[in-house]
Amino acid sequence: MPWTAAGRTLVAAVLLFLPAPIVIVVMSSFTARGYISFPPGELSLRWYAEFLASPDWLMSLVVSLVLAALAAAFSTLIAFLGALVFTRKRFPGAAGFETLVLLPLIFPHAALGVVMLGMAGMFGWTGRFPGLLLAHVIMTVPYAWRPIVSSLRKLDLSTEEAAMSLGARPLYVFRRVTLPLLRPGLVTALLFTFIISFDEVTVSLFLVGPDVTTLPVRIFAHIQDSGSPVIAAISTVLVALTVLVVLLLDRLIGLELFVESEQRRRPA
Amino acid sequence: MRFGRLAWLLMLPLAAVLGLFLVSLGALVWSSFAGADGVPKLDLYARFFARRDYVDVLVRTLWVAGLTTLVSLAIGYPVAWAVARHKGRRDWLLVLIILPWLVSVVVRTYGWIVILGNRGLLNAFLGWLGVVDTPLKLMFNTTGIVIGLVHVFCPFMILAILAVFLHLERSLEEASMSLGAGPWQTFRKVIWPLSLPGVISGTMIVYLMATGAIVTPLLLGGLRDRMLGTQIYQEMFQVFDFPRAATMAVILTATALAVVLPLGMLERRVSRNLKGAS
Repeated sequence: MPWTAAGRTLVAAVLLFLPAPIVIVVMSSFTARGYISFPPGELSLRWYAEFLASPDWLMSLVVSLVLAALAAAFSTLIAFLGALVFTRKRFPGAAGFETLVLLPLIFPHAALGVVMLGMAGMFGWTGRFPGLLLAHVIMTVPYAWRPIVSSLRKLDLSTEEAAMSLGARPLYVFRRVTLPLLRPGLVTALLFTFIISFDEVTVSLFLVGPDVTTLPVRIFAHIQDSGSPVIAAISTVLVALTVLVVLLLDRLIGLELFVESEQRRRPA
Repeated sequence: MRFGRLAWLLMLPLAAVLGLFLVSLGALVWSSFAGADGVPKLDLYARFFARRDYVDVLVRTLWVAGLTTLVSLAIGYPVAWAVARHKGRRDWLLVLIILPWLVSVVVRTYGWIVILGNRGLLNAFLGWLGVVDTPLKLMFNTTGIVIGLVHVFCPFMILAILAVFLHLERSLEEASMSLGAGPWQTFRKVIWPLSLPGVISGTMIVYLMATGAIVTPLLLGGLRDRMLGTQIYQEMFQVFDFPRAATMAVILTATALAVVLPLGMLERRVSRNLKGAS
């Protein structure tokens, strides 16, 4: 590939371009001024103080954390149970079933939002927490499915048989042999689905209500009607939590996982 | 481990959730065809296409999504290549791509408001340099939307292409070069064809995501330069017209799939041919 100075400059520019807006938001959150500006000028933590003093913002943070934790737990569990059967039983239409599991991935998010709103309406969950949770589970199941299925496929069934032939009972084998071998896949699924749910905004826009709003949706609403730097402070909290989970993933699994999972992210 | 018949029960929660999703999809499509007296009609679609402003929104959506995809490919491809061929540890480069990708869209778009606004960073800088007298209009127009969408979605492109590059042996280029091919020829005849599966899957994802975006077009495009996503959001929460929003959602999905499904087939074919050739 022709590799010139121009090419190198472009690459360097893109690698600066990607983190740039995030760095700018984080830095401008420390401004002492009453409006958003960069460079921030005199530094202060007043906008963090304002965030911590606001029950509304804190409530949204709690909603987002609980929602992401529950969505991650449910979708990982559901995908795990399903994948266990899927990888070990032969059944007609297995390929079709997998396509169905990955189906939510091929919908534009704005359309998905309307679908989920209709679904929440069927249960009377419009603007309520269960509606948000159900939508987030459906959206994150595909992301849990792939790492779990691939770790199940890599699992050597003979290790289980060896344990059985040595006299271990099935449940013991499952707990002491199968689960530990599947741990990387399960950890990936949990953390990945957590991040996706925690940062999700487009579909959530359709599902929040006056009593329940996620942090990203509240940020979105506030950007539209105020320029207060408190948004930068809260955004920084959101960024910090995302960084934390990514670092955790890097430590536990390695970041190459995103590249690998990307290759398998082929809609239908 | 052996599974008895009861094992099928384990699949039940997943099947239930998927079933629920399918039913909701069906309900949405149905409501987009609903006539006044419960007989399926094409009224809502006819009314959509009869309105000039809606058709404009549809065209703008396709155009913005297409442009976003092209720009993402143009800047993402060299980056994927550079990361794949980087000597030494790739971790830091991956962090620079993956971290921004996982940070919420709202936060990233907010950053662009700070940069692109009339009194934003970029205009302040240009004014300080004396390049411009009046601030450039970088926001509340299509330029702003495309900049924002490229930023939000081009990591998908980079990662999709990188996934292919990481499996490409360096010896391939060396072989091609040692057989007398120049760098350009090596790229055209060896690297580009081998990278096609990544290019196609990246194109699919970026296009799909860009057509369905709401937050970035609404914040950076304003109320005038609408896209289908923002239009759906407005019909839903300002006009409270669910059937019309449902109709638009179906149109949006159809236009996205009209591009994505053929690309998916193409990708499978290309991958198969590559496997067959090697």
